[in-house]
Amino acid sequence: MNNILSVEKIEKYYGNKGNITKAIDNISFKVDKGEFVGIMGPSGSGKTTLLNCISTIDTVTTGHIVINGQDITTLKAKNIEEFRRDELGFIFQDFNLLDTLTAYENIALALTIQKRKVIEIDKFIKKIAEKLEITEVLKKYPFQMSGGQKQRVASARALVTEPSLILADEPTGALDSKSSRLLLDSFEKLNKEFQSTILMVTHDAFTASYAHRILFIKDGRIFNELIRGRDTRKEFFNKIIEVVTLLGGDIGDVF
Amino acid sequence: MFSKIAINNVKRSFKDYFIYFITLTFAVCIFYSFNSIEAQNSMLEMGKSTTEFMSTLNTLIAGASVFVAFILGGLIAYANNFLIKKRKRELGIYMTLGMSKGKISRILIIETILIGLISLIIGIVLGIIVSQGLSILTAKLLAVSINQYKFIISVSAVIKSALYFGIIFILVMILNQRTISKYKLIDMLNASKRNEKIKLNNPLLSIVVFFLSIAMLVGAYILILKVGLETESILFLVSIMMGIIGTLLFFFSLSNFFINIVQKNRKVYFKNLNIFVLRQVNNKINTNFLSMTVICLMIFLTITLLFTMFSFKGSYDKMIKGNTSFDGTIQLFINQEDQKVKDIKEYMDIMDFKYNDYEKQMFFNEYKLNITINDLLSEYLTKQEKKDFAENYIDGPMSTIKVSEYNSILELKGQSPITLSEEEVLVVSNYEQMNNALSIFMENEDTINIDNKIFTIKNEVPIKENIVTTGSYLNFFYLVVPDQFSGELSLYSTGFNIMFEENDPKQSEETFSNFLNEISENVEYSSIEVIGNTIELVHLRVYGSTTMIVFLGVYLGIVFLVSSAAVLALQQLSDISDSLDRYKSLKKIGVTNKLINKAILQQNLIYFMIPLSLAIIHSIVGMIVINKIFSAYNSSLIGSSSLTISLALAIIYGGYFYATYVSSKNIVRNSN
Repeated sequence: MNNILSVEKIEKYYGNKGNITKAIDNISFKVDKGEFVGIMGPSGSGKTTLLNCISTIDTVTTGHIVINGQDITTLKAKNIEEFRRDELGFIFQDFNLLDTLTAYENIALALTIQKRKVIEIDKFIKKIAEKLEITEVLKKYPFQMSGGQKQRVASARALVTEPSLILADEPTGALDSKSSRLLLDSFEKLNKEFQSTILMVTHDAFTASYAHRILFIKDGRIFNELIRGRDTRKEFFNKIIEVVTLLGGDIGDVF
Repeated sequence: MFSKIAINNVKRSFKDYFIYFITLTFAVCIFYSFNSIEAQNSMLEMGKSTTEFMSTLNTLIAGASVFVAFILGGLIAYANNFLIKKRKRELGIYMTLGMSKGKISRILIIETILIGLISLIIGIVLGIIVSQGLSILTAKLLAVSINQYKFIISVSAVIKSALYFGIIFILVMILNQRTISKYKLIDMLNASKRNEKIKLNNPLLSIVVFFLSIAMLVGAYILILKVGLETESILFLVSIMMGIIGTLLFFFSLSNFFINIVQKNRKVYFKNLNIFVLRQVNNKINTNFLSMTVICLMIFLTITLLFTMFSFKGSYDKMIKGNTSFDGTIQLFINQEDQKVKDIKEYMDIMDFKYNDYEKQMFFNEYKLNITINDLLSEYLTKQEKKDFAENYIDGPMSTIKVSEYNSILELKGQSPITLSEEEVLVVSNYEQMNNALSIFMENEDTINIDNKIFTIKNEVPIKENIVTTGSYLNFFYLVVPDQFSGELSLYSTGFNIMFEENDPKQSEETFSNFLNEISENVEYSSIEVIGNTIELVHLRVYGSTTMIVFLGVYLGIVFLVSSAAVLALQQLSDISDSLDRYKSLKKIGVTNKLINKAILQQNLIYFMIPLSLAIIHSIVGMIVINKIFSAYNSSLIGSSSLTISLALAIIYGGYFYATYVSSKNIVRNSN
C-alpha cells in the first residue's frame, strides 16, 4: 500500500534555553492510503501540537513530515499555503463554517479558491452532498442548521477537493451522541468508498472506536498503539477504554 | 494603577485605532486653522476697509465653526461609541476580576483625557503649520501683498479649539458613562459571540425597489435640470426630496439587487473569494444603508459646494478684469431734466473736495447715442441672448465718449493716445464674454450707421479696458467717437478718474473713500446720483465675497469629506474585526494570504466607491444646474475646478481608504 503520511522522528520544543518544554518528543509513525487513524491522549499530551505540525499550521523543531511524497518541513511559506489548500482537508470541532454563506456556498468556497471550473464545482458539490445526506440543507445558512448538519457540511467542504489527507480535530466535540454517530457513520462510508485517508484527533473513546488504528500519546511520546483488526467496534471500544484507564486522566471523558 | 491601565490602553489604541486619532487630530487642525484667520491680519498689508472686512470674515467663520463643532462632535461621539463597543469584552473581564463599574468609568475617563490631550496638542501644532499656508491663500484671494513673512500663532484660536474640543470630550465622557452603566456583564463577556442576524432578502422586492429608486433619481435629475436653482419653486423642493428618497431606496435595495444579479453569473460568483466578498459587502450595506445615504449626500454636497465656490470665484475674477485701471473714479449721473447740479466739478466744489497736486485727475463726459445695443447687434443675437440683455438692463441706448477725453484717460493710464478721423469709431467692450454676437459682428461688419451717418470701425477686436474703475457691473460697451461727432448726444454722466501717484497712496485712498462715504450720507443732495469707487473698495467688494465663499466652501467641504470618510473607515474597520472569525476560518481551510488581502481590498474598494460613485453622478447633475447660472463665465472653469476637487477627494477620501485598507490587513494578519 502506498504511504500518504510519514512522520519521522519529529520534536517540537517550546520556550527558550533555560526553560524548554518538549511538546512532542521524538514521534514517528506512518499512515497508508485509505487508513482511518485516531490519535488519543489526555489534555496536554501534545496531540493538538502534532496535528498542527502535520497540518502545516505549526512547524516542527526537528524531524521530517512527508505527505504524499512532499516533505512539508522544507516547504517555503508560499508553497505551504498552496499545499494546505490542495493536499489537505480540515474538519474542526467548531465547524468553522462562514455564517454569511449558505451550505452550498461554503462547500463551493473550497473549490473556488482552487480556481476550479464552474461546471465542475456544481457537479462535485451535488455528489458529495448526496453522500453526506445534506442535499436538502444546501440552500440553508449555518444558523438554520443543526449541529450535526453543520459538521456534515464542514466535512463536505473538507472532502470535496479530494485531498490526500483529511485532518479532523475533535469532529464530534460539539455534537450530541446521535449526531456524532451519524457523522462517524458517514466518515466510515467515505473512508470505504473513496479510500479517503483520515487522521482524527479525539479524546472520546466512542468516536475513536470508528478508527482502524489508534495512537495513544502521553507527554509528547507515543505511549501505545491499538489496531482494530477483525474486532467488532464494541470489542475495540472496550480495548480503548482499557488503555485510557492505563493512561490515566480524562477518564470522565469516556462516558 | 488605573492610569497605568489607561496609558497602556491608549498606547495599544494608537496602533489599533489609528483612524480615530487621525480623525481627531485632523478635526482639531482644521478647526484651529480656520479660527486663526483673525491673527493673520498682522502679517498682511491692508487698508482700513480690508481690516474691517477681515473681522466680518472672522465672525462668519466663527458662526460656521459652531455648526462644524456639532458635526465634529457627532463624529467623535460616533467613533468613540464604536471603540467602546469593541472593548465590551475587555471591560467585562475587568468586571469579573472584581472591578466596579465606577472604577472602569475612571479608566475610561483617564483614557479620554489622554487621547483628547494628545490629539489636541498634535492637532494644534499641525494647525499652526497649516495656518501659515492659509494666510498666504488669504493674501492671494484678497489680492493684498505680504510685506514681510511672520510666523503667526493665534492664542485666541488655541483657546477656542481647546474649549470646543474640551466640551466635546466631556460630552463623550458622559456618553461613555451612560453606555457602561447600561451594559450587563453577561452581554459584555459574550460580546464577540454575537448572533449574526441575516436578513433573508426577497429578490423580487429588491429588484422592484432598485428600479423604483433609479426611476426616482432619473426623475429628480430631469426635474432639477428643467427647473434650475429656483429655491422658491415647489418643483425644486420636489426634485430634492425625490433625490434624497431615491438615494435612500438605492442603498436600501442595491446590495440585494446586485447580489441577485451576480449570483446569476456563476462564472463571476464562483471565482476565488467572490462569494465571500459579495456576502460580506451585502451584509454591510444592508445594515448601513442609512449612513451610506447620508455619506453619499454629504459628498455630493461637498463637491457641489466646492464647484459653486469655484464658479463664484471665476465669475468675480472676470468681473474685475479691465475694470480697475484707475485708483479711483467718481461719476455723477444726470437722471432728471431739472437736476440741481449737472457737472461733477461743481458738485465737488459744493462738497468741498480738496484736490492734491500729487494726485492726477482726468475729467470726462459720458453720452448716450440714439441707437441701442439691440439695434446694433440685432442680426447676430439669439433669442436667449436678447433675453439675457433685457434681464441685465443693458439693452438700452449705447454709451459713448469723445476721443479727446478717451485719450486723456489713456494718458492717465500711461498709454499712448489714439487718432480718430471724422468717419471713424472705436469699440470698447467686454461683451464677447457674454455671447458670440459681438465677435461675429466685428468680423462681418466694418461700419456702423449712427443717425444716418456711416462710421468705419477702426479696431478689429474690441478694446477690453473700461474707462472707469468699477466693481458694480461686469459688462461695459462704449463707442469712442470723434470730437466733431455731429449726431445726437445726450449727456448721461460726468465724472473723473483719479490716480493717487507715488506720494502716499494709502493716505490718498483713505481720504478718497472717506469722501465717498460722506457724500453717500449727504442729505441735501441725496436726489443726485453720484457713484464713486476706489481700487481697494472694488477689490474688497469682489475679492471679499470670493474670499468668504472660498473659505466657507473649503472649511465645510473638508469637514464634510473628513466626516464621511472617517465614518466609512470606522464602519469598515469594525466590520473587519467583527468578521475576524470568518477570516480565521478562511485561513484554516487553506485560503492563501494573497487571496485574503485581495478580498479585503475588494471589500474596502466597494464600500468606499459606492457612495462616492452615486455622489459623483449627483454632482455632475448639480454642476450642470449651477453652471447654468454662471454659464457666461465658466468655459475654462469646469476643467480646473474638477481637477482641484478631484485632488481634494483623492487626498482626503483616498487617504482614509488607504489607511483603512492597511489597518484592515493588519487586523487580519495579527489575529493568529
